[in-house]
Amino acid sequence: MVTIDLARIPVRDANERIRSAGEAGENVEVINPDARHHIGVGLTSPITVHVRGSAGYFCAGLTDQATFIIDNNVGWGLGDNIYAGTVIVGGNAGAIPAVGVRGAEIIIKGNMGSRAGQVMKAGTLLCAGNANFMAGYMLYGGRIIILGDSGERVGEDMTGGEIFVGGRVQDLGSDAQLMDMAGEEDESIREFLDRHKIPFSGSFQKIVNAGTKLRYGSPERQMRSIPFFNFGGGSSYWNPKVQEDIHIKAQSGRYRIRGYGTARSLPHLTDLSFARELPDLTGTKDPVSGVNMYTEIGGLHGANPLKLSMPVMVAPMSYGALSRSAKYAIAMGSAMSDIAENTGEGGMSNAQRDAAKQLIFQCLGGRLGWNIHDMKRADGLEIYISQGAKPGLGGQLMAKKVTKELAEIRGIPEGIDLRSPSRHPDILGADDLVIKIEEFREATGYRIPVSVKLGAGRVRDDIKIAVKDGFDFIELDGMQGSTGAGSSEVIDFVGIPTLAAIIEAEEALADIGRRQDTQIVLMGGIRDGVDAVKALCLGADAVAFGTSVIIAGGCIACMQCHVGQCVTGIATQDPKHEGRYHPEVEAKNIHRFFESVRWQIAALTRALGHSDVRELCRDDLVALTPEAARITGLPYKRGSREPHYDTKTA
Amino acid sequence: MCGIAGILFKHDAPHLNTGRALIDMLDGCQHRGPDSTGFALYEKAHSGQLRLRFFIGEGDDAAQAVERIKHALSDHAARIVEEELIGNNFRVIVDFSGNLQKFSYAIEHAAKVISIGSSLEIVKDVGTADDVDQRYHVHKFEGSHGLGHVRLATESDVKPEASHPFWATGFADIAIVHNGQITNYFKMRRRLERRGFEFTTDNDSELIAVYLADKLSQGITLKEALRTSIEDLDGTFSFLVSTSNEIGYAKDHLAAKPMVMYENDDLVAVASEEVSLNKLFPGQALETREPLPGTYATWSRSI
Repeated sequence: MVTIDLARIPVRDANERIRSAGEAGENVEVINPDARHHIGVGLTSPITVHVRGSAGYFCAGLTDQATFIIDNNVGWGLGDNIYAGTVIVGGNAGAIPAVGVRGAEIIIKGNMGSRAGQVMKAGTLLCAGNANFMAGYMLYGGRIIILGDSGERVGEDMTGGEIFVGGRVQDLGSDAQLMDMAGEEDESIREFLDRHKIPFSGSFQKIVNAGTKLRYGSPERQMRSIPFFNFGGGSSYWNPKVQEDIHIKAQSGRYRIRGYGTARSLPHLTDLSFARELPDLTGTKDPVSGVNMYTEIGGLHGANPLKLSMPVMVAPMSYGALSRSAKYAIAMGSAMSDIAENTGEGGMSNAQRDAAKQLIFQCLGGRLGWNIHDMKRADGLEIYISQGAKPGLGGQLMAKKVTKELAEIRGIPEGIDLRSPSRHPDILGADDLVIKIEEFREATGYRIPVSVKLGAGRVRDDIKIAVKDGFDFIELDGMQGSTGAGSSEVIDFVGIPTLAAIIEAEEALADIGRRQDTQIVLMGGIRDGVDAVKALCLGADAVAFGTSVIIAGGCIACMQCHVGQCVTGIATQDPKHEGRYHPEVEAKNIHRFFESVRWQIAALTRALGHSDVRELCRDDLVALTPEAARITGLPYKRGSREPHYDTKTA
Repeated sequence: MCGIAGILFKHDAPHLNTGRALIDMLDGCQHRGPDSTGFALYEKAHSGQLRLRFFIGEGDDAAQAVERIKHALSDHAARIVEEELIGNNFRVIVDFSGNLQKFSYAIEHAAKVISIGSSLEIVKDVGTADDVDQRYHVHKFEGSHGLGHVRLATESDVKPEASHPFWATGFADIAIVHNGQITNYFKMRRRLERRGFEFTTDNDSELIAVYLADKLSQGITLKEALRTSIEDLDGTFSFLVSTSNEIGYAKDHLAAKPMVMYENDDLVAVASEEVSLNKLFPGQALETREPLPGTYATWSRSI
C-alpha cells in the first residue's frame, strides 16, 4: 500500500505516483484529499485507490480497470469516461457523475447532482439517495439505478439505455417513457445491490427512450443534382436551387440537410492580393529548399509540440462522416507530407493511428469514441467547441451511416439519425473549461498539447477566453468550412467568414498583449498554397485543409455527403461504395496535393522577399475590394502596390 | 465565468476572521477566475455615518478624482469624518442623513463609486486573492459575514470596476457575487433603466444587483426578491447576496453553475467548489450539500 498525502504534494505529483503504483501493482491510499480536483485521472491499472475524505472534480476520470473508493463526497464529473472498473462514493456526488462512461460500476451512497450519466454509453450508475435535475440526460446506453427519487425531467432526450427508479418518478423528460420491467432486469439489479451490500426492498419503475425523436419522420428526397458551382444560385432570383429547396421542403416539411460548406459568395482570401510585383522565379530550381517552413505548434506550456514540415495540417473530419478507407488514405497522405492529421469526432482507429505520423484526437460533447487509451497515443488533444460551417450546433450523422461497427465505436445505438450534442456535458463556461483542460493534462502527464477548435462566432471574446483558459493553441474555423451534414440554412447563413475571423482574432490577441506567444491555426475554405500564404500573412501560425484534402482524394463535390451513398466511397459506411475507394492510390494523390501546397507556400514566401514563413506579414498584402479592405484594414487604393504602380512614373 | 464564496459566522466569538476566511476560500478556486478578485466586507455600523469607496486611478488622475469626490460630498451635505488612500481606492467615512439613492446617483456622476453603506465595504481589483489582500489588507476585516469572487472576464473588460462584487446601487449594504451568464441582460437592463435605475458597467452581473435593488425599493423582502429572480433572470447563474446582517443564494433552474454549502454550529459557508470549503477545514471531510436547481435561501445573524 502506497500512502499519498495531498497536504504535502500537489495533485500532479500524486497522479504520477498513483500511475507508477499502478504499474507496480500496488494499491494506493490518498490522505488529506480536501476535495482537490483530478485525483487519480488517467490510471489504467487494476489497482485500488482509496481516497480518505472528499474528492473534487473528475475524480477517477479517464481511467480503465481501477477501483476507486472515496469515503466522502465528490465534485462534478465523477468517473468521467471510465472504460471499466468500479467507483464507490460514500457521500454525495456533484453534477454529471458518470459522464460519458463506457462501462464501469459506479456507486454513490448519498445523493447525486444534476445530469447524472449524461452521454453515458454502457455500465451501471447506482445512486442510493436521490437524483437531481435531468438524470440520464442524452443517455446512449447502460443503466442508471436510482433508489430514491428521480428528480425533474428524468431521461431527458435519452437515446438508449435504461433508468430504474426505486422512489418517486417526479417527471419524465422529453422523449422518455415508463415501460414494464422484465423479471430478469429486476433480478439483475437485486444481484448488483447484493454484491455491493446495498439494502433495498422497494420496487422499481423503468424509464426508456420513447422513440419520437430518434429519426426524422420521412427521408429527404433528392430531386436533381445541382453541382456546387450552380449551388450558390448566381444572379437569377428563383433559380433552380431555390426551386429545388422549395420542392423538397414541400415534401419533408422541415429544413434541408446537406454536406459541404457555404455556397454563397462571401468575402474571402481571394479578395486579397500581394502588395508587390513578384519576381520571376523561373531561374530558381528549388524554391522549397530555400525557405524555412518547419513549424512547431503547441509547445506554449511545455507539452511536446506538433512538428510540421510546413505550417499546414489536416482539418478535423470524422470517421463516420467519412469512410474508414478515406480516413486511412488521409492519414497516409499526411504522413507522406510530414504534417498532422486529425481524427474528427468519431474516435481513432488503429490503421489511422499507425498510418498518421502525427495525429490530433478530437473531443466533442457526445464523447463519441473518446477514451483514455487513444488519448495517450495521440500527438494532440483537441476540445471542439464549435465549427465554422455550423457554429453552435453539433454534428449530424444520418441513420444510413450509423452502421453496427460505427455505432460500437461511438457507443451509441445503431441506425439512429445521430444528432451529436452541441455542447459538452462538463463545459458550461470558461471556468469549467479550465478544469477540463487540466484533467486532460493530468491524464496524459502534461506531454500532449491541448487545443481548442472554435467556429467563428463571437471571435473576439472567444479568443480571449481560449488564451486565458491556457490552451496550447487555437484552431479557428471560418464560415467557409465544410461539414459532412448540416442544416442547409445554417451552412449558408450562420457564421463569420474566415477572413473576418482571423482579423478579429488578431485584434483580440493584440488587445490582451498575447499576439507573440499564442498560436492560431486557421481553417475554413483554404484551397491552396496561395490561400495559405495569405492566411499566414494575416497572422495565422498555420492553416488546416479539410475539403481540399477529400477533393484531392477523389471527392466530386456533389454535396450529398449526408446521404451515405457516396459514389466515390469517401462519405459512406456502405461496404459496396467503400469498396470503390483505393486508399493507397488516394493517399498519393493527397500527398501530391500537399506537395503542391508546399511549393506554392515556398515560392510565394521567396517571391515576397522572405526566407522563412514566419516573416510573412500584413505588409505583403493589399485588398482587392472595398469590402475586403474594410474587413482587413489592408490598403485598397491606387498606389498602394509598390514601387512601380505609380501612374505618374509608369 | 467565475468562482464565488460567502461566509457568515453565527456568533461573535471566537471566530469573525471573515477577511482571512474569504481569502482562503478564493485561493481554493482561483483557477476559476485569474483576472480579478473582490470582496464584500462588513464593518461595524455607526448611526448617521456612511462608508464610501471610490476608484480613483493613479497619479494626477487620482489627485483630481479625490478633489472631485470631496466637492461632490460637500455639495450633498456629507461631512468627511475619516479618509484614506489605499491601493487605487479612496475610502471615506461621512456623516450623512439624506436620501441615499439620490445621493449615490449624484456621487456616481462625480466619481467611480465602488460601494456606499453604513457597514458594507467592497474591495475589488485585478489580480489574485493574495494580490488584492496585499494591496487592501482584506485579512484585517473582522465583520461577521461577507462575500468573495474570482473572475474570468468573458465578454466585458478586465478592469477593477467590471469585477465583482457589485453593489445594489442606492441601497446601503447590499452586494452580490455571481457565477454564470444572464442571457436576458439587455431586455432587463432596458426595463430597469426606464424605471430610473442606472448602470455603471456592461457586466451582466451588475444587473442582478440592480434587480434586487429594484425589488427592495418596492418593499419586497430579500427572500422574496431571490425567489422572483429565479423566474425573471434568464440564463445560467449561481449567485450570492449579502446585506448588513444576512447572506443568501439563488440558483437557476438548469443547475448549470456549481454551488456547495456547509453549515455547522458556528458558521455557514457557500462556495462554487467544495475545495474552497475545505480550505477552512484542512484535513477534514465535510458534510456538504449542493442546493437544488431553482432554489434560494437566506441566513441571518441572530442578533
